[in-house]
Amino acid sequence: MFLDLTEEQKLIQDTARDFAKAELEPVAAALDQGSDRAPLLANLKKLAELGFMGLNVRSEYGGSEAGVIPFSLAITEIARACASTAVTVSVTNMVAEVIQAVGSEEQRKAYIPKICSGEYAAGGFALTETCAGSDPAGMCAQATDDGDSWVLNGTKIFITSAPYAGVFVVWAVTDKAAPKGKGISCFLVEAGTPGLVIGKEEKKMGQHASATNELIFDSCRVPKSALMGKLNDGFRIAAGELAGGRIGIGSLGLGVGLAAMDYATKYVTERVQFGQKVSNFQAIQWMIADAYTELEAARLLLMNAAYRKQAGKTFAKEASMAKMYATEAGNQACYKAIQMLGGYGYTQDFPVERYARDARITAIYEGTNEIQRMIISREILRNFS
Amino acid sequence: MKLLVCIKQVPDLESRFKPNAEGVWYNETDLAWRMNEYDEYAVEQAVQLREKLGEGTELTVLSIGPDRVVEAVKKALAMGADNAVHIQDPAAAGKDPWQIASIIAAYAKDKGFDIIFTGMQSQDRGSAQVGVTVAEQLGFSCTTTIVGFECDGGNITAKRELEGGIKSVVKMKTPALVTCQLGLNVPRYPTLPNIMKAKKKEITAIPVADLLKDEALATTASFHPPAKKGGGIVLEGDTGVLVDQLIAILKDKTAVLR
Repeated sequence: MFLDLTEEQKLIQDTARDFAKAELEPVAAALDQGSDRAPLLANLKKLAELGFMGLNVRSEYGGSEAGVIPFSLAITEIARACASTAVTVSVTNMVAEVIQAVGSEEQRKAYIPKICSGEYAAGGFALTETCAGSDPAGMCAQATDDGDSWVLNGTKIFITSAPYAGVFVVWAVTDKAAPKGKGISCFLVEAGTPGLVIGKEEKKMGQHASATNELIFDSCRVPKSALMGKLNDGFRIAAGELAGGRIGIGSLGLGVGLAAMDYATKYVTERVQFGQKVSNFQAIQWMIADAYTELEAARLLLMNAAYRKQAGKTFAKEASMAKMYATEAGNQACYKAIQMLGGYGYTQDFPVERYARDARITAIYEGTNEIQRMIISREILRNFS
Repeated sequence: MKLLVCIKQVPDLESRFKPNAEGVWYNETDLAWRMNEYDEYAVEQAVQLREKLGEGTELTVLSIGPDRVVEAVKKALAMGADNAVHIQDPAAAGKDPWQIASIIAAYAKDKGFDIIFTGMQSQDRGSAQVGVTVAEQLGFSCTTTIVGFECDGGNITAKRELEGGIKSVVKMKTPALVTCQLGLNVPRYPTLPNIMKAKKKEITAIPVADLLKDEALATTASFHPPAKKGGGIVLEGDTGVLVDQLIAILKDKTAVLR
């Protein structure tokens, strides 16, 4: 068994780390506080130019063809500096990958190069609805066959990057009479299509720089060629692609957790109480030991899931395990970090409260951790029955 | 034109350094490695010239050391070098600047390089001798600590930074060697597609024994952290007296008030 990274993987990790430290970290706190999104968009463009928007995309479509392990490494390094940037990169990669996996050659050539090059600031993944969160098969948005086009109606919510995404992968019901999950199809809808309205932006607890909006389809007409994959096969596509995205979100949770613990650990080696560094106290030492052990376990779970996906093996269970464990380890690390800083940890003069707010959503989006447990147990129980 | 850039892999300077068992260099266990910062300026400048000159120009990157230095070599390839030479030497860290320069010169002497770029010094040993010694051994023109570089045919115009911010301009003919300083350029990040493509570029491995003929001229006798000092001076008493004492100390022991 070989647990080390290859030279190329190390170089990609170093590039992500160097870029994140130089370009993302200095603006992360201001992005969290402010409403000016220009620095985020500028950095997304630079990340695209470096090849971070198509990490696991083939070079013929403008991707880096670096694989899944570098995808995980890059998201972790980016998240150590700015979780909002990391989630945008993760989702955009997922959109490029889903088009590569199920799109036609024309669709791939039309959209993936624009995503990878940064011509599109981001890609959008429009699945969730008010009535369809953890249960996406219960969605209500519809696409109606109107001869030479499809007409979409309905409302999606919680759509990452909606105001600046260049293209959306959209799921809608195409056969209302079909059994649940069997009548959903997948479409590619370009930003600016008449009838596609970017709705209100959510006011969130964290990840402020990453926009999260409603997406309203008001008789939004798209050509027949916008259908991606087979008709009524969309739900299977969503389920399959979310597994890959979970590696990204787990990696993000790991990155935020590492950032929090690295900050807090340095702090406790400097902070003096009772005439000594607080790192001398066993209570603090145990927090350090527990958090870093959990983060290391998370890293190994992520590497395992990424390796399996890259090797073409089944990876849904492993991706769910990694996502669930890494995001919980990340959240635990952030809350321990706040505790290690004491009252200062709760103030905005120190970054750990931001890390904690940013980390919280990772246990929820891309499938709540309860859904991850359902997937994991289902996969395990299948082998016992 | 044939270009050569010489790079060294050094530890991340934020590492905790401990002397090795022999007490003549640092212990390499658990260190994170990266390309020497000044060598990144050298690579960037060489790549810019390579891009400007286009077809018919060849940029080779060279590094001496154990297998781990291949990672730094691959970064230079990903930044735009055409091919690489890895001079395999697990004991490179123990060699003095003369030997390192001799190895490079032995490799380069019959290759017809027009310009050699190096960093102005390494971040770990910091001798700043290797570049100039290579130039001397090869009979190349040489200038150091450059912050500006232009090449027009066989004529190089280099801007140097001197103490106190004074600049000087040096003109010389190829073949030439320049050592590169902070401020020369902003090294590019290697793009991910280029990192992946660098895998296919040729890296020639040469055992150091094939090139090294020279004995060391200097040996490191000891490598150790500075002796721990006491807890500093604590001044106590009336503020007016304290100020006078402090000023006296600053005048006496430091350059702050001179």
